[in-house]
Amino acid sequence: MIETEEKFSAKKFWRELAKGIVLTNPVFVLVLGLCPTLAVTTSVNNALGMGAGVIFVLLGSNIIISLIRKITPNMVRIPVFIVVIAAFVTILSLLFEAYLPPLYESLGIYLPLIVVNCIILGRAEVFASKNPVLLSMADGIGVGLGFTVSLIIISFLREVLGTGSLVIFGKKLFAIPVLSQSPLSIFIMPPGAFIVIALLMALFRLLGVLKNE
Amino acid sequence: MVRERNKNSGSRILRNRFYPVIFLVVIVLVAVVLLMYVNNITRAKILEQREAKIVSQLKGIFPDMDKYEFKDDIYIVLKDNKSIGYAFIAKGKGYGGEIQTLVGIGKDFALREITVMSNSETPGLGSKITLSSFTDQFKGLKSSEVVLSKNGGQVDAITGATISSRAVTDSVRKELDKKIEIIKKNNY
Amino acid sequence: MNSLLTIFLGMVLINNFILSKFLGLCPFFGVSKKLSNAISMGTAVTLVMVIASIATSVIYNYILVPYKVEFMNIIIYILVIAALVQIVEIVIKRTNITLYNALGIYLPLITTNCAVLGVTLINAQNNYTLVQSIISALGGGLGFTLILIIMSAIREKNELADTPKSMRGLPIAFIIASLLSLAFMGFNGLL
Repeated sequence: MIETEEKFSAKKFWRELAKGIVLTNPVFVLVLGLCPTLAVTTSVNNALGMGAGVIFVLLGSNIIISLIRKITPNMVRIPVFIVVIAAFVTILSLLFEAYLPPLYESLGIYLPLIVVNCIILGRAEVFASKNPVLLSMADGIGVGLGFTVSLIIISFLREVLGTGSLVIFGKKLFAIPVLSQSPLSIFIMPPGAFIVIALLMALFRLLGVLKNE
Repeated sequence: MVRERNKNSGSRILRNRFYPVIFLVVIVLVAVVLLMYVNNITRAKILEQREAKIVSQLKGIFPDMDKYEFKDDIYIVLKDNKSIGYAFIAKGKGYGGEIQTLVGIGKDFALREITVMSNSETPGLGSKITLSSFTDQFKGLKSSEVVLSKNGGQVDAITGATISSRAVTDSVRKELDKKIEIIKKNNY
Repeated sequence: MNSLLTIFLGMVLINNFILSKFLGLCPFFGVSKKLSNAISMGTAVTLVMVIASIATSVIYNYILVPYKVEFMNIIIYILVIAALVQIVEIVIKRTNITLYNALGIYLPLITTNCAVLGVTLINAQNNYTLVQSIISALGGGLGFTLILIIMSAIREKNELADTPKSMRGLPIAFIIASLLSLAFMGFNGLL
């Protein structure tokens, strides 16, 4: 009996994780957390930094909220979630400022804005407050990875089209010859962000991953 | 028996009425303590990073620098405890927002070099003000020469980005005049 | 970059919260199908932004900075905003029940609206005084409302047009937003 329960748990763990990446993909399916998505995807570097940050906060908040879920009174649960999330975001902000200053500067106000990222509060309310710790961890990692993957896709398109090259951690990975001389700058500017996400959403729908309206 | 029942219902009421508020307060206190702790650990490193950034920017213009002093918004660049030059930040209104330029001058008040530190100009056009092809023009100029060439000066504007170019040029010139006055007055 | 008018116009036109800074997008796409909803939402958000800016500016300048605990701003700002939204919710429920019903779930969601926390963070980042913070919040809120109104007017008309199936709803809304954003970029050299 105990053995099958544990196996069940392990399978559940990976299933939750995979769900977060495709089925409940926060950006393209749930359409949450748009603000940082569009602002931060001007370069893949920034996208990776933001993604890592969101995974950190999601993991932390999901674990804590799941741990205290049985003693959290229903009436104050939203303020409690907010305080927990805000604490993790502050820790993240201090860590970035101390150890990754260039990333801290390029993320700007969008780093503290992770607090109001609907994704994190959403997962806390919908999942972490109702599920055991290990599953909540899996959900946190899965949704966080889903978010990061979406950010990478968008920023890859924007950076390559908008600057003609790809620079990660200071190293230029490649440069497309004609494009880097006169890149389609519109893509790293706000209108370009809207266009890219519009087309990607339409693409996801065409591929049948999402349902049409 | 009655006493026991009273005690049980008494503690249940306490749990029901004040518990949510107490819980929230406890969570807030725990969070505050945790944050104070993390802040303490990282504070030294954060100050170190800010300092390192200023030093690296100044050293970009004055490679021989040992240390610096900061008075009246002017960086006095020191080597072997003698000043070898000065640096300050000029701010100008560009096309997309504020442009901040670090200006380095020698003891003779001639411009050594400028570095555009932050800007929100149009990528590919106005953003070219950060390139050495633009900033190198400022080397060795006197204050009266720091004007766009179309207005009689020595600085060629970037094609298609006159506003950005002018913002840098004008802000550098104005700040240069102001700071030279201050340096002379205080004998820095 | 200093005068109040510059700050105000800058927030409305050049650094428009939705089209340029991407703040306040969630309600933007959810609410902006009906004009009356757009106006209600915009006004409610602007109100919260201004009050929140006053409160947070005072807290930042008179408590956080003197005691060197600026890093606590995230947690304190969001708690202040959450409390404010609760209060505004109660006040609206008592005074204007139709408005309350029109806004529905989007009213408590103002708490997680990036625009509200965003403007308080911008004020802190630029070291604005109390008056500058108020003007900045007014500008940000009005810019937000302006775009909401324009967007809802366009989307009302768009409902009647023949949109390809995969583009219906959000994708076409994003395209409309991109065109608006492109147009507003023309304001860049204004100041």
